[in-house]
Amino acid sequence: MGVSDSGVESADENVLDFLDSMDRYLVLVDSLSSILRQGWFDLASARHSMGSSRVSSALFDLKIHNASTTLQVQQADPGKVSPRFELCKWVSSENLHKSSEGKKFKKNELLQQEDSLQSDHKEPKDNISEDDGSVINDNNQAQKERLKSLSMFGALVAPKLRSSQLSFEKALETLVEIANTRASLLQAYDQVQENMKKTG
Amino acid sequence: MLTQATEPLSTFFEYITYEHMIDNVVLIVTGTLHERDVQELLEKCHPLGMFDSIASLAVAQNMRELYRLVLVDTPLAPYFSECITTEAYLEDVYRFCQKLGGATSEIMSDILVFEADRRAANITINSIGTELTRDDRKKLYSNFGLLYLPYGHEELAVCEDIDQVRGAMEKYPAYQSIFSWLSYGETQLLDKAFYEEEVKRLCLAFEQQFHYGVFFAYMRLREQEIRNLMWISECVAQNQKSRVQDSVVFIF
Repeated sequence: MGVSDSGVESADENVLDFLDSMDRYLVLVDSLSSILRQGWFDLASARHSMGSSRVSSALFDLKIHNASTTLQVQQADPGKVSPRFELCKWVSSENLHKSSEGKKFKKNELLQQEDSLQSDHKEPKDNISEDDGSVINDNNQAQKERLKSLSMFGALVAPKLRSSQLSFEKALETLVEIANTRASLLQAYDQVQENMKKTG
Repeated sequence: MLTQATEPLSTFFEYITYEHMIDNVVLIVTGTLHERDVQELLEKCHPLGMFDSIASLAVAQNMRELYRLVLVDTPLAPYFSECITTEAYLEDVYRFCQKLGGATSEIMSDILVFEADRRAANITINSIGTELTRDDRKKLYSNFGLLYLPYGHEELAVCEDIDQVRGAMEKYPAYQSIFSWLSYGETQLLDKAFYEEEVKRLCLAFEQQFHYGVFFAYMRLREQEIRNLMWISECVAQNQKSRVQDSVVFIF
């Protein structure tokens, strides 16, 4: 009768995992809201600065082209690991065939990077790589792709438009992080439910 | 007003429309390259910049055809070299106003010199962090303005960040007041500072009489009013009413 100590500890651990995941999820949702808010405001500032004829939906490129950023989903093992979402950012169409996996976005410290969004000229850490030299190349590549995507608004764009782009890029990363956290949250919830059934 | 005016006022009015014509040409050409519908682009064009053959811009396959088919018969032809340059237009307006002489020349020179210098500063700031070389950057500057001689453009061309731009422009007393209340590294309020300075000069146009500058000032101040309204609308739509003061410029 009763649950063994190890069982209780395991149940407590599951509950703590669930609460941690929930906390992370709520923080990320709040972070996403403020990032998007900043992005839209910067876009409005850019339109004010450059003129509404230069920043307009009429300039969007409707030609068919490869997506510069893709999302990969690793399906979950049945009953085991939750599905995993990974963002491949700024994969140049020229390099599409060379690196089929593109550049992986790993889980980063979004709370720490939130402060960096307050500054106009800071850029997020794009990639974590074992080789320092390739990190610099990756950053240069990402920067080139960013400028290329902004070129639809003209050759020289206002700094506000670039920070708007960075904000929306960060929002995309946050969304992927939210998806991963939600998957962990649901898994933790299932674990807690399972424990509750076992203990009656 | 244009149809009622006689020379040289009618030419002066036409010069005011050329800037909008350049914007419309850029919009149509860019939109066409991006495979947008021509009608949709025409609806977005500024009404003051419309001309008869504007729809034909969508037919041109390259810049040479663009010039040969459309622009050669428009007043924009002189501003077209490898591409349409607003700098060439500004220089032409400046020369025309100098020829008019009198109060028109005095008022318009003050406004156009500031416009040229502001464009140089914006080109510099917008090209920071891009692959635009120093020489290419210098080619985009107008050939007049306070910064033109002796070393202003030289210093601007080598700037790598906003603080260096500030350092280059603060040497000129006319622009010291613009940067005096901005903190270092600040870019957001720099646009507002430039607009405020422009409005100040435009309002001065109404202090004198019997010159054409009032027409130009009236148009520009109307455009500033429209910008103010659009900014306020954006702030209201985004629920950021506290940020309205960031970019609204008061007139008179």
